[in-house]
Amino acid sequence: MIAELAVPFEYGYMLKAMWVSALVGGVCAFLSAYLMLKGWSLMGDALAHSIVPGVAGAYILGVPFAAGAFFAGLLAAGGMAFVKARSRLREDAVIGLVFTALFALGLVMASIWPTSVSVQTIVLGNILAISDEDVVQVAIIAAVTLGVLSLKWKDLMVTFFDENHARSMGLNVDWLKILFFTLLSACTVAALQTVGACLVIAMVVTPGATAYLLTDRFGRLIVLSVAFGAGTSFAGAYISYFLDGATGGVIVTLQTLLFIAAYLFAPRHGVLAARRRRIEALGART
Amino acid sequence: MTALIDWFAVPLSYPFMQRALVVSVLVGAVCAVLSCYLVLKGWSLMGDAISHAVLPGIVIAYVVGIPLAIGAFAAGLSCALLTGYLKETSRVKEDTVMGIVFSGMFGFGLVIFTKVETDQHLLHILFGNVLGVSVRDLIETAIVAGGTLAIVLLRRRDLLLYCFDPNHARAIGLPVRMLHYGLLVLLSLTIVGSLKAVGIILVIAMLVAPGATAYLLTDSFERMLVIATAVAVGSSALGTIVSFHIDAATGACIVLLQAFVFALAFLFAPKRGLVTVWLQRRADAKAAT
Repeated sequence: MIAELAVPFEYGYMLKAMWVSALVGGVCAFLSAYLMLKGWSLMGDALAHSIVPGVAGAYILGVPFAAGAFFAGLLAAGGMAFVKARSRLREDAVIGLVFTALFALGLVMASIWPTSVSVQTIVLGNILAISDEDVVQVAIIAAVTLGVLSLKWKDLMVTFFDENHARSMGLNVDWLKILFFTLLSACTVAALQTVGACLVIAMVVTPGATAYLLTDRFGRLIVLSVAFGAGTSFAGAYISYFLDGATGGVIVTLQTLLFIAAYLFAPRHGVLAARRRRIEALGART
Repeated sequence: MTALIDWFAVPLSYPFMQRALVVSVLVGAVCAVLSCYLVLKGWSLMGDAISHAVLPGIVIAYVVGIPLAIGAFAAGLSCALLTGYLKETSRVKEDTVMGIVFSGMFGFGLVIFTKVETDQHLLHILFGNVLGVSVRDLIETAIVAGGTLAIVLLRRRDLLLYCFDPNHARAIGLPVRMLHYGLLVLLSLTIVGSLKAVGIILVIAMLVAPGATAYLLTDSFERMLVIATAVAVGSSALGTIVSFHIDAATGACIVLLQAFVFALAFLFAPKRGLVTVWLQRRADAKAAT
């Protein structure tokens, strides 16, 4: 039994998949702490879909996928900001419009040059068969993002909580925001490899929201979030060995289960705690 | 001239292309009408959430042996309701809750999909398979599309008032809760009806682009409905035929065409187009000197 459970650790590709997933999950979780504060959760989803033509184009041209994806991500973010500023459409419509158009472009490219890149890989990710060059790219992205975040996390926090306050402290708010979106685009690219375009949103939203239910202090929120992200990603990759695939699906299912647990049982903000308080309050009154 | 006629006629001499054309035009029209309401209400991303959440419903329906459309519909609607419920009962923001719920359902759907032996292709569920629709699929789509269209058009004024100003709607005695859930039900139905043609990922585009395009072109809602439908029907028909000639994914071609029409409207809309405004300003400057 125990020998059987240890089997995944004997394969090089499984070990690689597990630690790469954990790395990506941890970094994305770091970003998720900020994203959900600001109500930008669906930006993560939009970016993940928007970079698909970049990835397809990069494979067709034979350049590193990260470069293509990153370029497409910036194009998408810029396009959204531009259309938003110059039309009377609401933000959600603009986001929906831009990311679906880019995603469709990616699909058309992939269907015209089918050999260069598989649609299935883009949409569902393929961490179990990740190539060594891709691992290097993902590791570089994750390391740089973690480095920048650990230096700037306080400045970003102030910016996201209260822009005016941040400005009065002499922080360059616009620069910090651009920095954040650049990091987000980069991490989306890394997450695309792990869980695929459709599930990136979970990686950049769910761990942060789970942590948010458990603590009121932002520093602790980040630590919890990163722990959840890295832990579920590692465990998800491990479990997917026994399920023969769907690594992204397993990781996201684990993250969602963790969120549900926090939603129900969180000591202060959970549903059960709220009910208990209500009953106690009623008891105290009578 | 004959080359142009052939360009249209050759694809349509194949029965599968005829069916594809009819289905994509039908789906395009229903999505376009709904998109006008979604754009006004700010629910564009609700379509995104519901359509992803449909996946586990399809797989479970297959396992249990009930029609896939029913499973899909139930899953889509429960995603919308669950989002509302979690938002009410926790301190997490709505967009975050939405992201968690639909990605969780989609991820769970993927896991059970790999564990279940089905005759469904995952890529067909995700991107549609309009070139492979059967006559039966066509009839099903027509029923769903026709029903949704009829309900929306019959209640179009009530729905409009609700989307525009829910408080006013409540004040004049409209059943606001019913309209809210009615719109969610119609949205889920439309997504389920579009599954065969464009798949769950691209249906979002069809639920946003036509309404957004029409919104740039007119201030009257009635006219907005007409323009959106025209844009969608035109893009669907042309996109289907283009995809035949360049041998590319049909749903994606339709969506790209719609995006192209939006870009045209964004640049050249009579009152608010980017280029129009710029030309106007230049003419004014010249007149002033």
